[in-house]
Amino acid sequence: MEGGQTSTSSNSGPSGNSSDFVRKLYKMLEDPSYSEIVRWGDEGDSFVVLECEKFTKTILPRHFKHSNFASFVRQLNKYDFHKVRQNNEENGQSPYGPNAWEFKHPEFRANSKESLDNIRRKAPAPRKQARDHDDSVPTQQIDLLNQQIVAQQQQIQHLSDRYAQLTVDHQLMLQEVMRVQKTVLNHENVIHQLMTYLLSVDARQRRDSKTAAPFPAQGQAGSTLSPSQVTPMDDEPSSPLQQASKLLNDMHSEMQFNLTGVDQLGEAKPTTVVSTPTNGMVRAPTAGNPATLVYPTTTPKMNGEMDTVVYPVGATNGIDPMYSEHVNNVPYPMPPKAEIESGDARRQFPDNRKKSTNVDPGWMRSPHILLVEDDATCRQIGGKFLYSFSCVIDTAFDGLEAVNKIQDGSKYDLILMDIIMPNLDGVSACHLIRQFDRTPIIAMTSNIRSDDIQLYFQHGMDDVLPKPFTRKSLLDMLEKHLVHLKTIPPGMEAPQPAPAVPMAAQGSAAQSVKEDSSPGQSPAASMSNWQSPGQFHGMAVHPSIPHVQGQYAAATPGAPVAYAVDQNGVQYPAPTVALAPAGAAAPQPAVRPPHRRQVSEMSSAPDNPNVTKRPRMYAQPAQTMVNPVQARTG
Amino acid sequence: MAPTTTTKTTEETSQTKAGPPKLSDMADSIDESTFEQILEMDDDDDRDFSQGIVFGFFEQAGSTFEKMEKALYEKKLSDLSSLGHFLKGSSATLGLSKVKEACEKIQHYGAGKDETGTVDEPDQSISLKNIEKTLTQVKEDYQEVEEFLRKFYGVEES
Repeated sequence: MEGGQTSTSSNSGPSGNSSDFVRKLYKMLEDPSYSEIVRWGDEGDSFVVLECEKFTKTILPRHFKHSNFASFVRQLNKYDFHKVRQNNEENGQSPYGPNAWEFKHPEFRANSKESLDNIRRKAPAPRKQARDHDDSVPTQQIDLLNQQIVAQQQQIQHLSDRYAQLTVDHQLMLQEVMRVQKTVLNHENVIHQLMTYLLSVDARQRRDSKTAAPFPAQGQAGSTLSPSQVTPMDDEPSSPLQQASKLLNDMHSEMQFNLTGVDQLGEAKPTTVVSTPTNGMVRAPTAGNPATLVYPTTTPKMNGEMDTVVYPVGATNGIDPMYSEHVNNVPYPMPPKAEIESGDARRQFPDNRKKSTNVDPGWMRSPHILLVEDDATCRQIGGKFLYSFSCVIDTAFDGLEAVNKIQDGSKYDLILMDIIMPNLDGVSACHLIRQFDRTPIIAMTSNIRSDDIQLYFQHGMDDVLPKPFTRKSLLDMLEKHLVHLKTIPPGMEAPQPAPAVPMAAQGSAAQSVKEDSSPGQSPAASMSNWQSPGQFHGMAVHPSIPHVQGQYAAATPGAPVAYAVDQNGVQYPAPTVALAPAGAAAPQPAVRPPHRRQVSEMSSAPDNPNVTKRPRMYAQPAQTMVNPVQARTG
Repeated sequence: MAPTTTTKTTEETSQTKAGPPKLSDMADSIDESTFEQILEMDDDDDRDFSQGIVFGFFEQAGSTFEKMEKALYEKKLSDLSSLGHFLKGSSATLGLSKVKEACEKIQHYGAGKDETGTVDEPDQSISLKNIEKTLTQVKEDYQEVEEFLRKFYGVEES
């Protein structure tokens, strides 16, 4: 058939006359008996194959000697007939029915036989061969290819979108990790501050205890006065503290390592990563909780070790200093070592001081807050509250404005976001902002059912501040999420929380750590026990101390001070008498009976002679021992 | 407490009623602690800040009630719901508890729920009727609070 066809057309060729094919076509259309199958179009400027099948089977063979519709169409194409598109298109309504094929050529019209001459074959093309092949491909296949291309384009589009999304996610993760790192660093700072503080406290105690050292001797003799408290503290805490700081140092490197791990993984959910550390951080500053509470939250991993570290500090806990039986049962480690350590501690103390003087109880700088709120009343009040927390406030009327502000590059430390707002609600705004910014966003809303809240978190919000908020709830929220802007939590350098730990010792039985966290009377009371030397004065500690110390230092220079003291109780009387007869009645009663009365005696008269004497007798050792004490008294 | 009772009626206008109005007298309508914390934001010597907010709220409430009437007339339940939500927020912030509760109800009714917002109320006409009732009531409550607050700030309604 192909052959027949081509021969026909090549016969007629691109000659001046109209081709056979066109003439045949015209003739065919003039036959009215075909009108059900093929006929002129309604306008007379096209022809329509109504019944494709019948046309192929009956008419084509009669006029064109083949029965291949595709060939017929190809032939038409060669003569530059065009298929009227809508026929074939699903959506287009063909006036001739869904299966009709309508073809058109500008010169091919009903009742216009002359113009047939103008219908020529298209340029015969050396690529005729190829053309044949092309033409043999039905349009459906082209469509199919097109579709494939489109599909592939979509795939590519999808992939590049995904890539972009991943890039953004990666960015977010990195920021997240940075933030966590910052938080961890802050944590560590806090711990270090705490450690230095504890060390300083420890050092002070040890000094005090040194002065008080002789007294347990007396305590043993029957009195249970406060100086004895000191004794158990003497060397015990120092080693745990040392241990703690060592642990911390180790931790430090370990932490760094872990963080790089996190960095590589980059898998953790942003929200969880964020919220946990912040939570942990917050407790310490806001509540001004005692040190012990800070540790577990900060470094959960360390819990095991830290417990042992922390407790001994407070703890003298197990040892009731007021309980005389304990006094002599306390095991004393090597005192020389203790002295060295105390030296260390003292060295650290000034550092600590320096840091704490830098401390400003508020923010390191004013936090920049964006308040997104459509309701004027809430906006004003919220703004005023924030202002009273010395924040710098910017406001946005709705989500759209907020997004624009962030997009324009405004930087905030925190965004407070209403949820229901005109134009763009808070959740959507947050979602948009999260595409390029990680500023903490707090939902401010009265819709706080759990599924609501879940939605907020899903869209990248960091927390929820229920409405109506109070001044306190707002402040808590700020402190929780702006820990990094806080200077050292106020509790740290203020004396009360830290002493709270030793305090526990005093109240041994009753006072748990928790109780200490609520600063009540007890801390204050016990503090005076610990820190103000006043008590010791009252007991006339120093007068006797130089005395005793001097003696023993002289007698057993290398021996542990504390130990010496312990034995003192037994051996004291004799030497004292021998050594300090000048002290008049002092030595003898000083050892055993209740001090009170004696104190006054000693501190007034006998004290001075003793002190002045000692240097003469035991020059160096006495001097060193006395000095701190005197400094305190003065 | 102290600051609330000290300042108010010194301005020339009122001294009409016996004794200065006390927040505690309005415990039903005004949540004291919430309102207090706004008063605390005032400077020591005047009440400009809180007064500004409260009077701003008056305007807001007035226009919101108007809008509610209109939406009620046009039977636009969803508008009523969001208007209720809107006024709920600001009244809650000021601690005007009665107004806040009513607004919450309107919000729920408007959303096709019962007054607690837990049970669906498919019948629109019932919702509209409920809102109408609540709106009437809340306007009375609001009137009372407004009167009180105006007195509190020593500015009688002219």
